[in-house]
Amino acid sequence: MLTYIARRILLAVPTLLGVATIVFLLLRLLPGDPAAVIAGPQATDVDIERIRHQLDLDQPLGLQYVNFLTRLVVGNLGISTRSGHTVVEEIFTRAPYTVELAVIATIAATAIGIGIGLLASSRPNSTLDLGMSGAAVFGISMPVYWLGLMLIVLFSIKFHEWHLGGLPAAGAGDWAGLVLPSATLTLFSVGLVARMTRSAMLEVLGQDYIRTARAMGATRRSIFLKHALRNALLPVVTSVSLQFGALLGGAVLTETVFSWPGIGRLLVDSIFARDYPVVQGVVLVFAVSFILVNIVTDLVYAYIDPRIRY
Amino acid sequence: MLLVGGLFLAACGTSSVGGGTATTTGKHGDKLTVAIGIDPDNLDPAAQTTTTAQQIVDMMAETLVSIDKDGNTSPLLATSWTNSSDGLTYTFTLRSGVKFSDGAEFNAKAVKFSIDRMLSPDTFKSQKGVLGVIGQVDAVDDTHVKFTLKKQFAAFVAAMTQTVAAVISPGSVNVAPNTPQQIQQPIGTGPYKFSERQAGDHITMVRNPNYWGTKPNFDTQVYKIVPEATSRESLVKAGQADVIMLPPANDLPALRQDSNLKVLLSASDRTVQMIISTVDPANTNLQKKEVRQALNYAVDKNAIIKNVMFGAATGLDAPMSKSLAGYCSVGTYNYDVNKAKQMLTANGAAGMKVRLFSPTGRYVQDFQVAQAVAGYLRDAGLQVEGPGTSDWPSYVAGIVLATPEKQAQKTDIHLLGWAPAYLDASQQFEQFYSPRAAPKGQESSYYKNPEVDGLIEKGNSDPNATSRNKTYCDAAKIVWSDAPWIFLYNQKLPLVTSAKITGVVGIPNEKFSTVYASPA
Repeated sequence: MLTYIARRILLAVPTLLGVATIVFLLLRLLPGDPAAVIAGPQATDVDIERIRHQLDLDQPLGLQYVNFLTRLVVGNLGISTRSGHTVVEEIFTRAPYTVELAVIATIAATAIGIGIGLLASSRPNSTLDLGMSGAAVFGISMPVYWLGLMLIVLFSIKFHEWHLGGLPAAGAGDWAGLVLPSATLTLFSVGLVARMTRSAMLEVLGQDYIRTARAMGATRRSIFLKHALRNALLPVVTSVSLQFGALLGGAVLTETVFSWPGIGRLLVDSIFARDYPVVQGVVLVFAVSFILVNIVTDLVYAYIDPRIRY
Repeated sequence: MLLVGGLFLAACGTSSVGGGTATTTGKHGDKLTVAIGIDPDNLDPAAQTTTTAQQIVDMMAETLVSIDKDGNTSPLLATSWTNSSDGLTYTFTLRSGVKFSDGAEFNAKAVKFSIDRMLSPDTFKSQKGVLGVIGQVDAVDDTHVKFTLKKQFAAFVAAMTQTVAAVISPGSVNVAPNTPQQIQQPIGTGPYKFSERQAGDHITMVRNPNYWGTKPNFDTQVYKIVPEATSRESLVKAGQADVIMLPPANDLPALRQDSNLKVLLSASDRTVQMIISTVDPANTNLQKKEVRQALNYAVDKNAIIKNVMFGAATGLDAPMSKSLAGYCSVGTYNYDVNKAKQMLTANGAAGMKVRLFSPTGRYVQDFQVAQAVAGYLRDAGLQVEGPGTSDWPSYVAGIVLATPEKQAQKTDIHLLGWAPAYLDASQQFEQFYSPRAAPKGQESSYYKNPEVDGLIEKGNSDPNATSRNKTYCDAAKIVWSDAPWIFLYNQKLPLVTSAKITGVVGIPNEKFSTVYASPA
């Protein structure tokens, strides 16, 4: 197992190098001079030149790339051209907010989604099943920014008008601020988990060993939860982990609608400011978190299905 | 020595919104929450380029002189100033008994330190801009500071109202997290003190108990970063923000109807225009001034202000906003599509093809306005392509700071806003001064008229206000007639406040001040 993990981590190195190179080159292909954007309209060409020098943008591209990689090896992602802070510092002040949201939304969506999936698969094609599947499709199809705004209209504005207090519509502060953005992300993810669970369960329930279990007199509850669910979980785990990986990359739209200071917004703001070091850093963090999530998912597979061995 | 400003203005009783000469006091309040659209890159006074970030810094660090709500240059940390007859030395008399919020004494040495730091190439992203004209700063004694300029610069005092010229406590640059190269937490003499910042979320300031001037009413002010206009609107409707800037423009009519809210259209010095490439190699018709005039007649500016800007703008009668020193009314291009068609035909430009470009979300309703302009130009019989759009950095690189040939690959006419950093015509004339033509400056019309260049240079160095204004007025008349732009409007800055709040004021350089806000 440990050898397996070590091998996976080693294999991640060329992947990360590839990601680093691609993002470095793509950023330089974008039109727009970071120094001119920073300097603003009143700046003289001397001002712009000085900023370009301060940010090392006056060096040849090859040298910039070599510097970037050499610094990367020692974990130095550079300095943000917007704030002057180190990129590591920038990411560490923003990432906890994204992780907080991603963890809560993933746990809630998994619990609710599996619950709905189980209920729906227990009575396939019944009104309950159709209702729940319909709701799941609705959840998946709703644009997340629209959903977010609707929740704000109801729980912030209308509740305020009805003198019921109202939930915070923007910003991170206390637990209350977490409710609406995590609810939005949960509602968005729950449909996928539910549909995945339902179809996996229906497939498993049709297998011979379930019939055998039934013939042997196992209770319906035991068949469902003990025999079928565990086998049906593998595809569900895959979809949940993919969702979680994507959420760790920052749910940009949700973060924007709720003014959540997460890493997705940091990325978007940095792209618009042509803050190369931060964009490079954030994309690398995304890549690392995806790789980690994948490794953990593989380990969870082995736990759920003891036949899988690494 | 000529006595230029301070005493006279002070005698007129002009109250400064940025500082201590305000006489208004209101009820005490605990916390004011303000939602703004952008997250300041940093809070170092020397590195400020964006008005929204500047107005936050202004609450903590003050300048020697400031712009009041009527647009006048008025005393702040300086009580008066004089200049030498050759226009090369300016001496400011400083307010005495003022302390920085860290307890240090405010004096001429602190002024010298701050200005030298702003001019220093070691300061991270410092933005000296026109203040690069300063050759030397001397602390004459504790209350007098002398600026020696490299060349005559008539608008020097007005230029010193910019946030980059704010005075900070010299000792504070060595207190972490500040460094001499970059200030994270400005320590100045302002009515508020830095308290806390969560990047991307909020900046909190608390009242400076030792403020030298009129004390503000709110103990704490929180500036929340809310990038989405709809979300800002939701916050003020839900009672979670007291003041918001830039609500969605198309909601202005509905917001005006809401009795819980107040809509404030703050004056701004920003003009918004369709800039014509006057040397366009792709459409040589645009090189003729009659054709450019025809385009001005073809567009119904008043209808655009009413229906697309929802009233958040006023018409132009000069190539600059009325709030600038040196403004004079020079004319109008009243909407007349038939006249436009005749002029186009007479100049062989009937049915010509023009391509338009506009940023999206940079200015109030920018892209929508460009779409409306496209419609009017089609009505005048032109073949219009666009408006195209792109993100701001690409726009700056591909159009605003591009060579004529590069710009012509994309567009013939593009939308741009221009807001002088301080309220002087010299700042607006950067847009008509050929040595500032892109890519050297941001004069993206490439307009060149030697007579105008000469008048601008004359005005910029003329220390006599009357003759200077006349010079600028003459230049403005020529520019208006040469029509390097389709002159659209003077944009306003829409703000919405809760009806329970009073005392929020706009400052005409596209800032607003919440310093003296109070519960209504």
